[in-house]
Amino acid sequence: MNAPDLNRIIARVEDLPTLPRTVLKITELVNDPQSSARDLAGIITDDQVLAARLLKLVNSSFYGFPQRISTITGAIVLLGFDAIRNLLLTTSVFDIFPNRKKANQAGLERLWDHSLGCAVGAKVLGNHLRYDKVEELFVSGLLHDIGKIVEMIFMPEAFDRISHLVRNENILMITAEERILDYTHADVGRLLAEKWNLPPKLGSVIRHHHRPSSAGRFTFEAAIVHLADILCRSLNLGYGGDNKMPALDKMAWETLRISPQAIESMMAEIKREFDDISLFITYTP
Amino acid sequence: MILLHLDELKPGMILAEPVYNQQELLLLEQGTALTKKRIWMLKTWGMGQVYVKGRPRGDGEGTGAAGMETKETIEKELKEKFADVADDPVMAEIMKAAGRQLQKSLNGQDEGNERT
Repeated sequence: MNAPDLNRIIARVEDLPTLPRTVLKITELVNDPQSSARDLAGIITDDQVLAARLLKLVNSSFYGFPQRISTITGAIVLLGFDAIRNLLLTTSVFDIFPNRKKANQAGLERLWDHSLGCAVGAKVLGNHLRYDKVEELFVSGLLHDIGKIVEMIFMPEAFDRISHLVRNENILMITAEERILDYTHADVGRLLAEKWNLPPKLGSVIRHHHRPSSAGRFTFEAAIVHLADILCRSLNLGYGGDNKMPALDKMAWETLRISPQAIESMMAEIKREFDDISLFITYTP
Repeated sequence: MILLHLDELKPGMILAEPVYNQQELLLLEQGTALTKKRIWMLKTWGMGQVYVKGRPRGDGEGTGAAGMETKETIEKELKEKFADVADDPVMAEIMKAAGRQLQKSLNGQDEGNERT
């Protein structure tokens, strides 16, 4: 996409939301080698809601620790700084979006389920491939369609036209976006990631989740999220806005070296974990 | 999980969220399996909708269809969804696997293993 287009999107969505202060502060701390677990714990315990969510999540079957973790410091020591940052991003990112239209509620909820399905899918695939930072994949999956939320809330007219076209012609949302706008939710999502100063890897995965072979040095990660998106769509986990399957990016598929026979057991695991985790991370508008 | 009206509830469904009445009194815990009697109790308390475990259908038309999936509709929907990509052998494999997995959920085979 060329620069004038990018500028036009920025102009249209200039009131893009910002991350909550706590998450921003935590991002700074994580990047600062001098900071300690105690500094981090101090910031988190200042935010009661985040603290409660964090403890609920580390004690969920998602992490599967045998004993109960009752302190924030304990959670940080067990999980590490990066994992905590990702976790807080996970639990707070959907709160950021104001819910201006009642009609959006159901759509947001289903998109949340789709995002959560993709996050779980990316994590399961990552484990299978012995990727060392699976929680990073989890967050990438969760945020891969964040551009759709921006469109829904900040560009409601365009979003309505896109949704109509998707329904009338039964096509992929990204196809409709290409026709109506000349950019897609993947481009918008990347813009948001940049505005939030998220790691470049995350921005790149969001930008290229439909064509991961274009993601350069992040092709592997983008390919995982791409496949996770396909698997959770096939399992009807949530609803991403259309009823079609995106084409599999062949080059990216080959970088993963997954045997087609291994897919079904992973799908079963995704389904199971999705049911488990959706009890712990819930989107409530 | 899926939000269902009381009329759509069926015995055997599992609550995905605790149910409280207007006075914030806990009526049923999360994870409770519904019975005829419990559904009737929710009605007498005047509850409108509750969250149960399961997935909404991906048809974009909201709630209520969870109990209406059949073997035939699963296959038909998958075929439509995969129509443009079924030439790809990997996608064809995914479609078959998804069919079997969705079938399993339909028969409730994975409900038995769940910790509730």
